[in-house]
Amino acid sequence: MAKDHRAGSKVRGDKLPAILMASHLLEGDTVFLSESGWTLDPSAARIAHDAETSAAMEAEGKAAASANIVIDPYLVPVDLTESGLPLARHFRDAMRQRGPSIHPDMGKQAEFAPLD
Amino acid sequence: MTLITEQGAVEDRFTRADTLEAALAADGPVLIPLWLVAEYAKVRPQAEFGLSVTGSTAIEDVAPHLAKVSLVAVEFAAFADGRGFSLAQKILREGYQGVLRASGPLIADEFADALACGFTEVELPETLANRQPVQQWLAAKDTMSDHYQSGYGRGPSILQKRHAARKGASA
Amino acid sequence: MYRYDEFDERFVRERVAQFRGQVERRLDGSLSEDEFKPLRLKNGLYLQLHAYMLRIAVPYGTMNSRQLRQLAHIAETYDKGYGHFTTRQNLQFNWPKLKDVPEILDLLADVEMHCIQTSGNCIRNVTSDQFAGVAKDEVEDPRPTAELLRQWSSLHPEFVWLPRKFKIAVTGAEHDRAAIKVHDIGLKLKRDDAGEIGYEVSVGGGLGRTPMIGKIIKDFLPKSELLAYLEAVMRVYNSEGRRDNKYKARVKILVHETGEDEFRAMVEEEYAKLDGPTINAPQEEVERIAAYFASPAYETLPETSATLAKAQANDPALARFVEQNGFAHKQPGYIALTIALKEIGAVPGDMSAAQMRAFADIAERYSFDEFRVTHSQNLVLPHVKQDDVPAVFAALKEAGLASANAGLITDIIACPGLDYCALATAKSIPIAQAIAKTFADEERQKKIGLLPIKISGCINACGHHHVGAIGILGLEKGGRENYQITVGGDASEHAALGERLGPGIDAADVPAAIEAIVETYLGEKQGGESFMETVRRTGPEPFKAGFTAFIESRTLETEAVG
Repeated sequence: MAKDHRAGSKVRGDKLPAILMASHLLEGDTVFLSESGWTLDPSAARIAHDAETSAAMEAEGKAAASANIVIDPYLVPVDLTESGLPLARHFRDAMRQRGPSIHPDMGKQAEFAPLD
Repeated sequence: MTLITEQGAVEDRFTRADTLEAALAADGPVLIPLWLVAEYAKVRPQAEFGLSVTGSTAIEDVAPHLAKVSLVAVEFAAFADGRGFSLAQKILREGYQGVLRASGPLIADEFADALACGFTEVELPETLANRQPVQQWLAAKDTMSDHYQSGYGRGPSILQKRHAARKGASA
Repeated sequence: MYRYDEFDERFVRERVAQFRGQVERRLDGSLSEDEFKPLRLKNGLYLQLHAYMLRIAVPYGTMNSRQLRQLAHIAETYDKGYGHFTTRQNLQFNWPKLKDVPEILDLLADVEMHCIQTSGNCIRNVTSDQFAGVAKDEVEDPRPTAELLRQWSSLHPEFVWLPRKFKIAVTGAEHDRAAIKVHDIGLKLKRDDAGEIGYEVSVGGGLGRTPMIGKIIKDFLPKSELLAYLEAVMRVYNSEGRRDNKYKARVKILVHETGEDEFRAMVEEEYAKLDGPTINAPQEEVERIAAYFASPAYETLPETSATLAKAQANDPALARFVEQNGFAHKQPGYIALTIALKEIGAVPGDMSAAQMRAFADIAERYSFDEFRVTHSQNLVLPHVKQDDVPAVFAALKEAGLASANAGLITDIIACPGLDYCALATAKSIPIAQAIAKTFADEERQKKIGLLPIKISGCINACGHHHVGAIGILGLEKGGRENYQITVGGDASEHAALGERLGPGIDAADVPAAIEAIVETYLGEKQGGESFMETVRRTGPEPFKAGFTAFIESRTLETEAVG
């Protein structure tokens, strides 16, 4: 997707904590960088609390894009729930974490435990 | 740079030159931009040379030189910039029969279109030729065996083939 | 309808093989994502928020039952059991995997379908009047022209890398149901004074960021000269269209910046240099294509059906359906029926695989095995015997496809919006659902009458909001979704762009705002005026006043609660 439409970058203020989101090249699913590799599960996303970690994650994303595994990785600013799960701050990124609002039976919300 | 024709990779006979000094110093025919033509032709009136133009060049600026050159290179700013295809058609319409080169970061998937629009060769930057070697270009040009548009490529269009088949059938 | 010959068949098969190769070359790194993206787009494959999306071409909106059954099969095998009809008369699947797409394309080729040029900076799927070949006000059936253009534009060597997308629409009727004035090229079949058939050619219409109504650049183009003339238009655009700014790259901007007369002169100059006879389609070829669109074998019947009249008298629901969704057929004893994919609360344009199969059966049995897709995200059974309407209605009801709201306030066009689309700035479908629920009462809808609402979830205007009688545009404002409302847009032969009523509002306020606009209409309406007729007479002022009053009352309410 076009870089100029990324929502995370529109979030004002603190960009941390953050997760790294991308699309899987072969499948098309939204994926998240986890502690080890890529995951489909939004709850398993690795969370960067400091700039050093987020830079490392971004570099890992770029490498995966160069290796033709994912497309368009980008950092997504999140808030943490009480149980420490990452909730995207921007409504567009939140839509990607959950799935279409009109189809609760489809997407992440249907396949994984809810974030909130 | 890698130069690819319908037959495969070939050597480039031309040397690119952006200044008069460079053009005069080169061995063999040079490939020079439009603005250098007048100067160069004054010094070397009999020399064979090629003309390099951008895809956005007006045909009125190109046409006066066509009778004197044996190569026209149309420079593509990007593979997705299709202006060069239209310029190629306009150049052919002027009666030009020499070598017509598409130059720039084109992709193999455009080779068939380039040939159909009248280009005879493609000149690629090395990085691209490494990623998409000659074999990919030769395969790509043959993936579609027919085209609907009359007036492009060498063979008849699908519309013309149908027409001919019907005439044959009724004859 | 048109059937592929050996050339069309091979063309589509080779195109599938070509795409399969492109996918392989993307995976092995021969093609970068930047290079692959336009290639996959030219084959209808987008990457959206949750998954890839595949847009299947339904050329000029015409399909048969075999094709729809195949789409049902694809929906169940490779997607999530449904498809979505779009404002371009196409069908989208929202969840395909890249690795499955070549197989899906194979299955489409099996039923003479493809995804060629349903996206990308090229000539897109050609659209037309959903009542082509049916309408009484038709000079000539536009479908043969549309099919000729489908072939001519498919992988055109010179025009697949245009500055921006390029949309062509054709109508053969006096009443424009194909919205030709908001297309890059609009073609209207007409007769000249000598009775010859040709085209009126408009260029430079379009919606999006800078909406414009197309300008007529040729009053009358002889029919036989179509391809050469369009080639002249395309060459001028390909050479001169802006490539420095994608928001200014459509031909409408070129026409606007160059000036209508100068643009016309450029086209004429190019056209004069073309060798027309080598470009235009041979007459026999035009006739060969046209023969596929001959009328089906109608029975000779009286103008109206006594059977249907009696059934309507006994069944008010049937009567309402026929009254609202029926369209007068040129053939006595027949009727065209609009199937509104707009059940209250449903997603506009969505159809389940089960519905596809049921509808395929109905079209096969009762409509000469043919149906149409409309740009209002509805379907049409074009040739139903009036005697059969009660049986068709019963079968539609059974399949959940008998909504009697075609053209009414609940027959809403909505783009996919932020629920799916990577470009969207706001949700669109939930707004449509909320409005439909607000106006669910059938009597209320009937009292309001014809009122096309069109909703887009971003400035690109896939939901055609500029030409909605009421248009709604969802944007992002201060980190929230915000909706701007216009009235007075019209996509017909009276093409007009809507005017904004005031500041944007929150999603939750949209249904009540629409109610306020409707109240203004009902108050201003004279005699039997439709909403659009009232707006045309009064102008937007009373609606602006009503909207402003609504905003003020909302502010007071919020303050009182807060």
